[in-house]
Amino acid sequence: MAFLKVENVKISGVSTCVPANIEINEKLPFYKSVEEARQVVEAIGIEHRHISPKHIAVSDLLIGAANSLLDSLGWEKDSLDLLAVVTQTPDYVNHPTSFVVHQSLGLDENTMCLDMYHGCPGWVVGLSSVTTMMTTGCIKRALLLDGDVISKDQDASNREERPLFGDAGTATALEYLEGVAPIYFNIGSKSEDGMALARTQGGYRSPFTMETLKIELDRKAGLLTGSDSIDSMDSMDVFSFAITKAPKAMKRLCANFDLPLADIDKLVLHQANKMIVDAIAKRMKVTEEKVPLSLRHYGNTTSASIPVTLSTGQTAVDYRASHLKTLACGFGTGLSWGAVYFETSNLVIPEVVTIK
Amino acid sequence: MNKNSFIQNFSDQFDESDDVEFTASTVFKDLDEWSSLIALSIIAMVDEEYDVALKGDDIRNATTIEDLFNVVQSKA
Repeated sequence: MAFLKVENVKISGVSTCVPANIEINEKLPFYKSVEEARQVVEAIGIEHRHISPKHIAVSDLLIGAANSLLDSLGWEKDSLDLLAVVTQTPDYVNHPTSFVVHQSLGLDENTMCLDMYHGCPGWVVGLSSVTTMMTTGCIKRALLLDGDVISKDQDASNREERPLFGDAGTATALEYLEGVAPIYFNIGSKSEDGMALARTQGGYRSPFTMETLKIELDRKAGLLTGSDSIDSMDSMDVFSFAITKAPKAMKRLCANFDLPLADIDKLVLHQANKMIVDAIAKRMKVTEEKVPLSLRHYGNTTSASIPVTLSTGQTAVDYRASHLKTLACGFGTGLSWGAVYFETSNLVIPEVVTIK
Repeated sequence: MNKNSFIQNFSDQFDESDDVEFTASTVFKDLDEWSSLIALSIIAMVDEEYDVALKGDDIRNATTIEDLFNVVQSKA
């Protein structure tokens, strides 16, 4: 089982960058009445989401988050040994996004670039990969950039999917520091159910044909009716997976490393939707005030949702001000999960950056 | 596993169907209040009460409450 204990790596700061443009759920075109719209907003807990206009790609959001965090930390750009990017919406079909960011930030040629393709558990999986590379001290400073412009990949007429997803880019700053509290991980996969969240067309197994490309374009334009869709999320499968596996993964992590659940200050869950967050929190028997939410104003920001939650609203104020023990869990794509325990002291968190 | 308590737990997920008499043969997807959100709360209830993880297909393939009861019983 993938239980990891990573020593000597400090999480120093977290930042978020979003497009300024927002989409308000109550105003979506497919609700029959204001009441119906309000009922959905209440159940999913999402009022509005940040949506990228055409000209904003994921690298723009990641660069915005990276620049503001480097400034706040006072880190020189040539002090970075590693730049990692987690995204499932890269700028280009071929040319990893970390190189786009590397060039734009003007980083040193000795900075290693690494792209990781992952969905909602991606921040935890990315954090486990980067921190284990750092634990021996060969890499002193790293930036883990994580985000998606998932709105560009959505079925605009899908009543179940469109109200959920928002765009965001985040940066997490990591540095080698001997003696800091270890970071603990549990990561697992349930691939047999993975097609519940799959997008199958347009890859190298099923390249677009004229017919499937038309469906794809109609999908993004909101012209599809349910039966035309080739891939759509099986929300019941995903819900069932999330509320059963996420609590088990976190409980197993705590049991394996003797981390008392009662000592946890914050339980930060992937912001899938409020029903899922509430169901998991209830199964963890953690009180509501320990479970921060960012979804009300950012939506489900896929793999970025944990760092978005850490670095926005009142939660950011709390993390800046104190020493906190955090248990977090990302789940989804794969299907898979990543649970992590970490401690932070006075995290450096700049104000949320918005770009137009 | 008790069928009547399952029907009771099932009907508890509905707020506005007070006038409906839930029985084993109720075709639940025909109820006015049936929605994808209620489907999720049924999945949550089954996980909590019976420690069974239902799949989307389990709900889609069931017509009556008894069909779903049988699925949960076979997985419990």
